[in-house]
Amino acid sequence: MANHLIPYALLHGMNVPTSFINQEGSAFDFGELEEAIVLQGAKANLLTGRTAATLEMFPSWPMRYRQTPGSSKSGGESTDSGSALNTISSKTENQFEPDSPISKKASSSYHQAFDQQNLQQQQQQQEMASDPSRTGTSLNQSAPIVKPLQEKKRASTSEKQLDAKTLRRLAQNREAAKKSRLRKKAYVQQLESSRIKLTQLEQELQRARSQGLLLGSSGGGVGNISSGAVICDMEYARWLEDDERHMSELRTGLHSNLSDTDLRLMVNTYLSHYDEIFRLKGMAAKFDVFHLLTGMWTSPAERCFLWMGGFRPSELIKILISQLDPLTEQQLMGICSLQHSSQQAEEALSQGLEQLQQSLIDTVAGGPAIDGMQQMAIALSKLANLEGFVRQADNLRQQTLHQLPRILTVRQAARCFLVIGEYYGRLRALSSLWASRPRGRLMSDEQPCQTTTELQMVQPSQSHFAHF
Amino acid sequence: MGMGMGSDPMERLVKLASESAVVIFSVSSCCMCHAVKRLFCGMGVNPAVYELDQDPRGKELERALMRLLGNSQAVPVVFIGGKLIGSMDRVMASHINGTLVPLLKEAGALWL
Repeated sequence: MANHLIPYALLHGMNVPTSFINQEGSAFDFGELEEAIVLQGAKANLLTGRTAATLEMFPSWPMRYRQTPGSSKSGGESTDSGSALNTISSKTENQFEPDSPISKKASSSYHQAFDQQNLQQQQQQQEMASDPSRTGTSLNQSAPIVKPLQEKKRASTSEKQLDAKTLRRLAQNREAAKKSRLRKKAYVQQLESSRIKLTQLEQELQRARSQGLLLGSSGGGVGNISSGAVICDMEYARWLEDDERHMSELRTGLHSNLSDTDLRLMVNTYLSHYDEIFRLKGMAAKFDVFHLLTGMWTSPAERCFLWMGGFRPSELIKILISQLDPLTEQQLMGICSLQHSSQQAEEALSQGLEQLQQSLIDTVAGGPAIDGMQQMAIALSKLANLEGFVRQADNLRQQTLHQLPRILTVRQAARCFLVIGEYYGRLRALSSLWASRPRGRLMSDEQPCQTTTELQMVQPSQSHFAHF
Repeated sequence: MGMGMGSDPMERLVKLASESAVVIFSVSSCCMCHAVKRLFCGMGVNPAVYELDQDPRGKELERALMRLLGNSQAVPVVFIGGKLIGSMDRVMASHINGTLVPLLKEAGALWL
């Protein structure tokens, strides 16, 4: 009889009246208690008194009633178990079973234990009532069902000792409840700040994508990028920011007529800055050579004119020649010779890569007699050579840039780096303009003038289309 | 090409390297070796190429080259005028900084 009533009371979170709780002695009637509960409901965990505080952390959790004999100790212990989840599972001990021993036993020791429980409960109620964080999710659990096992332990001591113990337990319960509340608060705060951080990251990602710096999110999103590629892109973005800084320094340096010595320092700094990107690319090649080779690390327009994972040095030199001031005979010869050497080196590397491709095709195409696994193993070892080619191409790029200040005056070298930086900046801008252009209307009157200007600026590099 | 039996691989290397103006140690299946060969051919140079995988004592030479260069890649390695130039990166660096052509001319591998 008691069993079906109690859950009802619990579910409806009715408050336990305090009137009957202070009864001491063996005259206590279990039936009376049940009645009272039915009338006014029971609150909190009558068994151990430690539960309701942490329960409220997850008010929507379904309450499971499991009997775990011997698991309930003094109130403070359960809350020491770290996560709230543990707390819940560890405290949901009270099980409603038709054959629960509780409904039957009526020994005096049992009643005394029950008294103790009620006293705890009262204390806890008062505490909970004064705590503004309590919502209406009062009693979701435990019934006035006491585990005979533990309670017997307590019931064996005298009443006086019980009181002292009880008081201590109550104090512990209060402490535990407090700890739980604080943990809950910290957890919620952590969730909130994580949410904010996530939003910020998403915004940054969106911004970076729109600048054409990152792989477009068409369907694949982050899942299609290797972690090495993500790091590569991040480092590259940072390098670009540094590049902006260096360029503006160079610009200021050139216009303010710095001494050659100071300008040379700037040029050397800029060269180190380039050394940095080649170092980064070298590491990226180890982790994800395809990311470099396919140009996914760079903007779409740059990707269009990609040669072996980066810019084609001879093309860059061609641009420089057209932008530099009148050159001396010697300088012109030096620059042309540089262009020529670079072209020869590029040609050699391209042919080497072509041979690698052909060899790979032969392996992958395979033949009837080739074992599949072996075929893959051979193909894998051939793929490993790709890193070497990207590395050599970057080496060529690096050497070419270092050669410039050797054959030019320091002012010309400074101007070269500015030209290079501005050129690639425009290619990146072109990429984002292209990405955000109105579809289906490429050259309409409604287009802003800026686009036309951009096209004009791109004019000199028309020859690049031939390579594409 | 004289291949003395029992000669130290390093000695063999030096000997072979000095027998032609431009000597390339290569492996026939290596694509970077192919690239370095194409580079010299593109410049009008006719290098002497030793395919180590086709030499009965090629493995020894490979090991000696690795020791010489101090890295795990034995090939390609280029000697010009008997002097060690290095691997692909050194060859390209010297071409870009303008020191390769004078070396080739000096060794008699290039005219004009």
